[in-house]
Formats: sequence, C-alpha cells, structure tokens
Amino acid sequence: MMTRVVVIGAGPAGLVAAIRLAEGGARVALLNKGTGGLQLGQGTLDILGYGPDRVERPLDALAGFAEAHPGHPYGVLPADLVARSANYLRDLVGPALLVGDAASNLQLPTAVGAVRPTALASPSMTAGACVDGARFVIVGLRQLKDFYPELVVGNLVRTDLPGGGRLQARAAMLDLPAREGEIDSTGLTYARALDDPAYRKRFAQAVKAVVEPGETVGLPAVLGLDDHNAWSEVAEAIGAPVFEIPLPPPSVPGMRLNRALTARAKAAGVRVVPGSKVTGFRASGGAVDSVQLATAGGDRDFVADAFVLATGGFESGALTADSYHNVHESVFDLPLRRPEGHLVHGDYWGDPQPLFTIGVEVDEQMLVRHPGGDPVYTNLYAAGGILAGATRWQEKSGEGIAVASAVRAADSILAAAATATDQGAAS
Amino acid sequence: MNASHGLEFAQTEVARASLDHCVKCTICETHCPVSAVTPKFTGPKFVGPQAERFRHGESVDHSLDYCSSCGACTLACPQGVKIAEINGQARAVMKADHMPLRDQLISQTTLMGMAMTPVAPVANAALSLKPLRTVIEKVMGIHRDAPMPKANTQTITGWLKKRQNPATKATRGTLVFFHGCAGGYFEVETSKKSIEVLEHLGYEVLVPKQGCCGLAQQSNGLFDGATDKVLKLCDDLRSAGRDLTIISSSGSCTGMLKHEAHEIMGVDDSRLKDVGTRIRDIMEFLLELYEAGELPTDFKPIELTAVYHAPCQLKSQGMGQPAMEILKLIPGVEAVESGATCCGIAGTYGLKKEKYEIAQAVGKPLFDKVKEVNPEYAMCDTETCRWQIRKGSGAQVEHPIFLVHQAYGLR
Repeated sequence: MMTRVVVIGAGPAGLVAAIRLAEGGARVALLNKGTGGLQLGQGTLDILGYGPDRVERPLDALAGFAEAHPGHPYGVLPADLVARSANYLRDLVGPALLVGDAASNLQLPTAVGAVRPTALASPSMTAGACVDGARFVIVGLRQLKDFYPELVVGNLVRTDLPGGGRLQARAAMLDLPAREGEIDSTGLTYARALDDPAYRKRFAQAVKAVVEPGETVGLPAVLGLDDHNAWSEVAEAIGAPVFEIPLPPPSVPGMRLNRALTARAKAAGVRVVPGSKVTGFRASGGAVDSVQLATAGGDRDFVADAFVLATGGFESGALTADSYHNVHESVFDLPLRRPEGHLVHGDYWGDPQPLFTIGVEVDEQMLVRHPGGDPVYTNLYAAGGILAGATRWQEKSGEGIAVASAVRAADSILAAAATATDQGAAS
Repeated sequence: MNASHGLEFAQTEVARASLDHCVKCTICETHCPVSAVTPKFTGPKFVGPQAERFRHGESVDHSLDYCSSCGACTLACPQGVKIAEINGQARAVMKADHMPLRDQLISQTTLMGMAMTPVAPVANAALSLKPLRTVIEKVMGIHRDAPMPKANTQTITGWLKKRQNPATKATRGTLVFFHGCAGGYFEVETSKKSIEVLEHLGYEVLVPKQGCCGLAQQSNGLFDGATDKVLKLCDDLRSAGRDLTIISSSGSCTGMLKHEAHEIMGVDDSRLKDVGTRIRDIMEFLLELYEAGELPTDFKPIELTAVYHAPCQLKSQGMGQPAMEILKLIPGVEAVESGATCCGIAGTYGLKKEKYEIAQAVGKPLFDKVKEVNPEYAMCDTETCRWQIRKGSGAQVEHPIFLVHQAYGLR
C-alpha cells in the first residue's frame, strides 16, 4: 500500500520534500497556512556564505564549519548530500531558473550594493559577478520603489572585492512607467509588464540609450515573471550583457522559483492545501497518527504514515517566545534545544543572537529527537528553518540546509516505507 | 441581536486585531487579482493592515471600494492577518451612509429568482435585449455586458415534488442538502445531480425549504439584511434534523456559513456555529469519504480534458481543491487546474458598470486558458463564476458533480 505523508510548510524545505516524496511514490498532502518564504528570498540557493569569514568554496568549508559550530544542522548533513540536494533543486526548476556549481560561490551585488555570496543563482543574475575590472552601469526606474542605482553604485565602487581588486560602476535612471497612472510601482508590476513583448521592446530601447560600449548592465530583478526568457531577450535587444539585482519583497526571482516548485508539486500529484493552520495532532504508540487542520468550518483530520515538519522558525510563527523567554514549537510542542544563558544580548550589530539557534534537534534520518536523546516519535521528521543550531541569514545557509534536510527526510520516509512493504511481503 | 450590530462590529472589533501580525512581507500583494490589472486598487496590504491604522470611523482610502472580496490575500498571508475581512468591514463602514440603490437591489438574489422563474422565457429574452440592458446600465449601474443568470422554468422545489423515489435504498443514513438560491432557481441541474449522486451512494437526502445565505448583501456591506438572512437560513437547515451533515453544491454560500458571516459581520450565534461546522461542500464530502475508504470508485471512463477552476470563495475555506482530487479518480478525465486566482465576477462585483472592465481583465487569463485547453467545456463549483466563465470563454461550464454523476452511470 502506498505510504501517506503529510508535509507541513511550503517553503523550500516543504516543497522539495513534498515533490521528492510524491515522485518517489508516496501520497502527499502539503499543508501550509500561507505562501511559503521562498518568494521572499532572492531566487538563489545559498549553501554557506560566511563562516564567519566570506566563503568562496562552500562544500569544502562545510566540514570545518560544522566542527566549529557544534549542533549545527550541517553536522548531520554531509557535504555530498548538500551538493546532491542543491543539484536536485537545480534540476527540478531547470536551467532557466537556476544555474551554477554548488562547489563554488558566486559573488553578486545586492539592491544596497553589497557583494553577496551564493551558490546557485538565476542565469539572469550571473553576469553580475563582482570581479576585478568589471564595468557596470546600474539602471533604475523612476517609478519603481525599492531600487536606487546611486546607492548600489556608491557601495559597489568602494568595495574591496572578494577576489581582490575593484570594479567600476555608474548609475543611470529611466523615466518609464510600468502602467499608466502609477508612480510607485512594485517590482512585480514591472515584471508583469515585461512579460509583454511590446513593453519589453520599449524597455530595452530605453535602457540601450543609456549604455556605453563595454558596460555590463545591472537592472532591478523585474525582467519578466512568467516568461523566463524575458531577460535574455532584453539583453539581446540592448546588445550588452545584462544582470538582474534582486529587490526587497515582492521578489520576482523568488516568485519564479516558488511558482515553478508549486507547479511541479501539483504535477507530481501532491494535494496542496493552503490557507489553514495545523493546530493539533493525535499520537499513539509512540507515533503521530494525524494532524488537525483548522479549515473554515472546523478541524479536519489528516491521517498519514509519516509527517514532515517544515514550518520555519520565529519568522513564520513555527516558534513562539513569550516575555519570559519561554519558547514553544507551535504544532507538536516538541522539545527544543536551547542555548545556555540569555537568549538575547544587547549588542545588535555584534555576535549572532543565541535566540535564533533554538529549534528542534534531529538525527541523521531527520527524525525529531529529544535533545541528545531518542526520537520523540517514530514517524515525525523535520527539515529547514525549524532545525536548531543555524543562524541562516547571517551564515547565508538557509536554502542549503532546507533542501538537504528535505531530501534526507524524504529519502528516510521512502526507505522506511520500502522496508515495511518488504516485511509485509515476507510475512 | 440589535439591528446595527454588524456595522458596530465592523467599526470597533474588526479583524483589525490581527493587523499587528502584518510583517509587510507583500505576499498578499502578489496574490491580489485586482491590483494586478488596475492601479485603481492600491493592493491588499496598503488598503488593509496599513490604512486600517488610520481609520477612525472614516476611511482614509477610497480605493478600498475596488477590492473584490475574493479573499486571496487572507488565504496567502503566512502570518494569519485577516486582510480581506478587514477590507470587507471597512468598506461596509465607508458605504454605510450612502449605500447605492444598485447595491441594495443586486444583492437580493432570491427575489431575482422568484421573479424570473415564472416568466423564464420572457426574462431570458428581455435580459438579452441590448437596448434594455443599456437602460439598466444607465439607471441601475449594472454593466450592459455583465453576465446574467438564465432563468429556469422549473425550480428545485418543483422538481422534487414531481420526481419518483430514488432507485437506490438508503443504507448510509440521512443528509441535508443545501442548494443556495442559485441552485434553487437558476442552476437547478447542479442541485438535481448532487442529490442523485448522494442518493446513489446510499444516503437519504432531505431538502428543507430554504432561503438565501445573504452573501451578496454581505459583500455589498449590507450587514443587517445579510445577518437576518443567514440566521433564517440556519433555522431552515436546522429544521431538517439536528445532527445531520449538511451538503452543499454552492461553493461560495458554503463559505458564508462556514466563516464569513462570523468573521466579517461578527454574527455570534449558536445556530450559525452549528450549521457552519456541520456543512460540507459536496466535493469536500466526497473526498472525505474517499480518504476514509468509503467512496465507491467504480467510475465509468469519460474521455475529457478540460479546465477546472476553483472559485476564490471556495479556496478561501482553506481546504484546498477537493474537486481536483475527485476528478483524478475518474478514468479518462484530465482536469487542468486553471491556475487563476479569481474569475473576476466575485459575486456582484463584476456586474457593476464601474468595475466591469476590471472584472473582465481579472478573468482574462482564465478565459484564455479555457479556450486553449478545451473551448467547449470547463468546470467550476460556483454559480456566478460559471456565468462569468461561460460569458468570457464561450464554453459550457458545469459543476464538477456533473462528471461524477455521469461516471457513476446516472442519467
């Protein structure tokens, strides 16, 4: 009989786990109380960016990093698994959305002109690699909020590049509304406009007019939402290399990834149930039997053989803290691993806050366990931001942990199901 | 309950309690089908949790009226902010002292059905007359090209009176059927087929005399009238039996009973709670049976590829798209998910002359998808959405229960 799995959470970890399980033959329900965090991200895949120094070869750095950070998720996620999982995600969304080599980091400009390390990125971003001697023109749009080319340029030109040297950059501004009557459009409005070939042509002509020979063109990441070739057509029309710089949310590259993975999950047969919160569960004999989804009109029981908790951390409400610094996991009230001493210190720009390393501890199968002890339930797995020990945004490790733990959790569940079937057949 | 409770609730309590959970992540903005096609609506985050902080009785942002109440924002919000509810309440307060006559009339759905049924051929002919529709647009503000229901010569009550007893014996117990006003007067065939499927499965189906749920009034901000209607409906449905499961083939009215009457209008009544927790959308009910291993799947093959569109007000019930799961069980059927957030009509929104163009633009990707996948046929769970998709795509659009009915070999 087909194994049934409930995945809770639709960020990168939940989506990847659900797809891998469904494509591996499981019957999967993906429960998420709202849209997952993937579309708030940059549309890239980070593995390890800082450890704490800037990392250029993330896979090589993982073992040492895990050793220096006891209890970090990378302690149970070996480098070969991380590499395989990153490539798995890359293959799921295809080369139109993710390219690169998990072994080496790209160094890409951000919307404030910092140089950010990341492992895999959209092909529309890679021409922005910050290397010695590069010549950029950063082009903004007067009607687009959240992108200021002067700021990007000012910071980029004063940065000593990771590989040594400096780059040159200048700013340019276009007056080109995305739609009539709107003077402060979001990136999404521009992306929708740029899905239209006619607008795309006008846009490219306007950009072309400000580009000088030899320059690489940096544009806000708005070059098409549904049309994944929009950016390359723009580049062709301009006649110069082009790169996208991700914006604050709504992040168009993040939305592209989220849409691609959600579509893939549905195509694989995953039953996606958005908009309701999991508020309870039933367990017996050391195993979780079902979770209760609080839909309009009351709780509905979702029975399954295995459960994957991929709900994220404090940012998504998966963890909550009260004013006494009691921290709770909100679905199963799981035992958490918490650091010694105070959870928050006052040095805002200093060391990572201990609070954010709180989470659930897992074994090598991604089964949730009592800190330092045995699994809490025989069939409850965890993946992604809920795992204890990482400060994802500081380390730039979020997606690497998410996809590797998701792949491992899915494979553990499929292997356990196969074993159960074999035993069933034998007896 | 005094008459002004709904508005008072909207003004004071509101779902605004949830607005502090907003982290400004913009996820709601990316799901809004209206702001995607027009700058006239500044988007759910701006109009909702942001503008709400500045409302003190009076609204600071009148673009609020362009919200279609589709609920996509609330559904997508990962922080649990009741964005659509905040907007629905704020709009009711904003319109309270100058409620257009048009909005008061088009929300009287039962009245329309009662008036049109006896004179169905005449009514249908009249509503297809261009000059008459132009006059209606001028006088009433209902757009001349807006989709209108087709009146039936027989109501569901009429059919129930005349038909013979069901062929299958009732071995599984008794259910109550809720057809909604559209399912009683216009989309009678959906109600018939739903009842026949349930009877085929072995249920006795009770159909008490029933009124309107008040959804159209609620979405137009007429909370007092809507409250009276929804509670009257609860009494109607409860009259059939106290512990029975209630099955509905009217997706959006089910949402009114399950959560909207309570969350938007603050109806806090044990009768509503009772009905709201006992009611199941018919496809949701079939899926529950399937999950429990109790749904016969001896479906006859149907060779059909067609778009299935889950209406926004069905999705906002937070149960996913049960029809998609059921359609997968019928051999030969390939249901292609529409991928559209909303068809544009959003109850009475797309009928209004100042919103008609927006509603058409919202629905366009869906119409295009229907034309591309199967221009002859599509599926959708709610009545007004079917009228909109029929009008926009030219396809025959039916409730997915039609295919279940056919696959069980019923006729």
